[in-house]
Amino acid sequence: MSKPSSSEDILGQKYDRCLADLLVKSGVGFSVGVVASVIFFRRRTWPIALSTGFGAGAAYADCDRSFNPARIPGTRVLSQNEAATLQGNKSN
Amino acid sequence: MAANEFLEHRLASEAAPAPKQKSIVRRVFWTTTALTGTFYVGSTFVSFNNQTYYDVFSEHVPLGQSMLEYAEAHGWDNLTVDDVIEFSTETFITTYSFFSDMIKKVTGEAEEVKEEAEKKVQSVKAAATKAIKPAPKPAEKASPPPASAKTAPKPAVQPDAKVEPVTSTVKKVSPDLEELVARAEAAIAGKPYPGDTQASSSQPTSDILSDPQVYTAPLPLGFEPPPGYSRPQPPKKTQTKPAEQAEKKEEAKPVVLPLVAPAVSSFTESEPIISHLAGTIDNLASYLATNPAAASKATDVLETAKKDLTSLADRFEKVREDERVALEAKLDEQTREYTIKLLELEMEAQDKLDSQQEDFKKVFDEERVKIIQAYREKLENELRTQTELINERLKEEVIAQGIELQRRWIRDIKVRVEQERGGRLAKLDELSADLKRLERIALDNANYLDDNIRIHALWSALRALNSSAISSPVRKPFREELRVLRHITAAREDPVVAAALDSLEKTDVPDVGIEPFADLSTWFTSEVSPKVSEVALVPDENAGVLSYLASRALSGLRFKRHGLVSGDDVLSVLARAEYYLNEKDLDSAARELNQLQGPAKVLLHDWLEAARKRLEVQQALEVVQTQATLASLLVV
Repeated sequence: MSKPSSSEDILGQKYDRCLADLLVKSGVGFSVGVVASVIFFRRRTWPIALSTGFGAGAAYADCDRSFNPARIPGTRVLSQNEAATLQGNKSN
Repeated sequence: MAANEFLEHRLASEAAPAPKQKSIVRRVFWTTTALTGTFYVGSTFVSFNNQTYYDVFSEHVPLGQSMLEYAEAHGWDNLTVDDVIEFSTETFITTYSFFSDMIKKVTGEAEEVKEEAEKKVQSVKAAATKAIKPAPKPAEKASPPPASAKTAPKPAVQPDAKVEPVTSTVKKVSPDLEELVARAEAAIAGKPYPGDTQASSSQPTSDILSDPQVYTAPLPLGFEPPPGYSRPQPPKKTQTKPAEQAEKKEEAKPVVLPLVAPAVSSFTESEPIISHLAGTIDNLASYLATNPAAASKATDVLETAKKDLTSLADRFEKVREDERVALEAKLDEQTREYTIKLLELEMEAQDKLDSQQEDFKKVFDEERVKIIQAYREKLENELRTQTELINERLKEEVIAQGIELQRRWIRDIKVRVEQERGGRLAKLDELSADLKRLERIALDNANYLDDNIRIHALWSALRALNSSAISSPVRKPFREELRVLRHITAAREDPVVAAALDSLEKTDVPDVGIEPFADLSTWFTSEVSPKVSEVALVPDENAGVLSYLASRALSGLRFKRHGLVSGDDVLSVLARAEYYLNEKDLDSAARELNQLQGPAKVLLHDWLEAARKRLEVQQALEVVQTQATLASLLVV
């Protein structure tokens, strides 16, 4: 429409960036796997799949963080209800 | 003789130191007495005049209190100078009379003494003649006795003073006659004691000069001294003279008898008898000198001398008597004079007092009359002023009453005139009131018109703003219209309108304008609603990419709800908002969508913002419109 960037378009943009990232990282992983399998593993396939999986995994992690920035490894964000119950348990 | 000598010696030895000490002691004593007396008497008088000194004197000075009591008892405190003078005059008179009495007495005594002395002299003469007669021839022997006889009468004649020196010479000359002389002396007076005579005879000249016994010899007033003695002021001379004379005589006896006459020639004028006596004596002396054998004949001479002496005594007595009479007369006269003077003074004083009293009485009467007159005048003046005042007040009251009456008449006349004029004036007043009412109406009408015009302008501006901001098909800025509206409403000073327009003017909404309702509705249904329904299943928290993907995948499988449906889920809310938008109720749609949480709210953010802006502008304009309506209602 007339509005280039509106609030309802945020989600679509995120999807776009995640896809691009996935493609790039998977491609890099794929190519690294190909080179490794050719050079080190006498043209075996599993190094290619592994490195592609690495690339895709990294892309997924980045995408997930973009959707939920509060999700940091080792921490948990409590909801208000959970926090209230936790407080009640502590006081008890 | 021996006793005499002893007496002489003793008196001489005692008299030598005595006078000095005595004089010093006496002087001290008298001085002290005088000073003390003066002090006490003076202090008494001073203390009667000075109260403080009175206290001091009575308290601190011994005998002071008793002195003051004595003084008060004798009335010293009332003593004045006149009293003192009077008293002194009296004292003087008394003293004078006393002395005159004394003088009389003394004179009488002196006469007695004289008589006695004369008797003695006569007896001595007789003795002398007897003595001379038995020894007439021997000139050497006989010569001294006559001399002594001759000298003997002389002191006898001198009543008092010259007895001693003469006696001394006599004593020297003939000790035989000493007894006789002593007897004569004893006879002469009871006062010249033989002892004193002898004591003084030891130092004759000096004693004569300053002998205290001289007081026996003071000449009564007006009396002449004895022959051979004048009354020279320095008594020294007169007393030395006789001594010299006597000495001369005694010394001349053996050698040459000097002539007495020339020596006393100075008295010849005053006392002829003396000169006569002197001549007689000289005659006798010359006779004796020329013819010592004719001493027996000296009896005649002596007789003559005796006669002379008697006449002398008579004369003296006569003179004395005269003097006394004269003095007494004088005294009496003086006494009378003073008494008269005193009486005169008293009378004068009495007269003065009387006249003073009369004067005082007169003055007092005059003063009284004067005062009475003055008071009467004052009273009359006051009465006059009072009557004047009362008259004035009466006049004023009369005038005031006249004025009051005049005023009443004027009022009556006025009332009449008013009644006459009443109708016309009332009409005029009515007309003017009508005019005023008309004026009022006109003014009101003008105001009414003005208000109408203003409301009209307001409405016009409001409509312009409405058309440009809300009901325009496209979004466009409406700052200009808002400004005009504000200016118009500012004249009305409506706080509500002003607040609404202020809040609107502060934001940047008028610059960018607001979305038209059609645009908002289209935007919601075509873009916002499907995208929000895609995230309807995403949890509010901890939503990862997988949840989003799952929600998106599942949203296609769900049924789409329509109409006014109940439920809190996102799809129901979306259905209700769509329904409200279809009903053109942007407010309710925005309220419904505002309740959403989580990712749906994030997606709805821009649309809600636009909707809120539009709603704000709409609300402000509605308020203004309401106020304008109210104003127009008020005007009508």
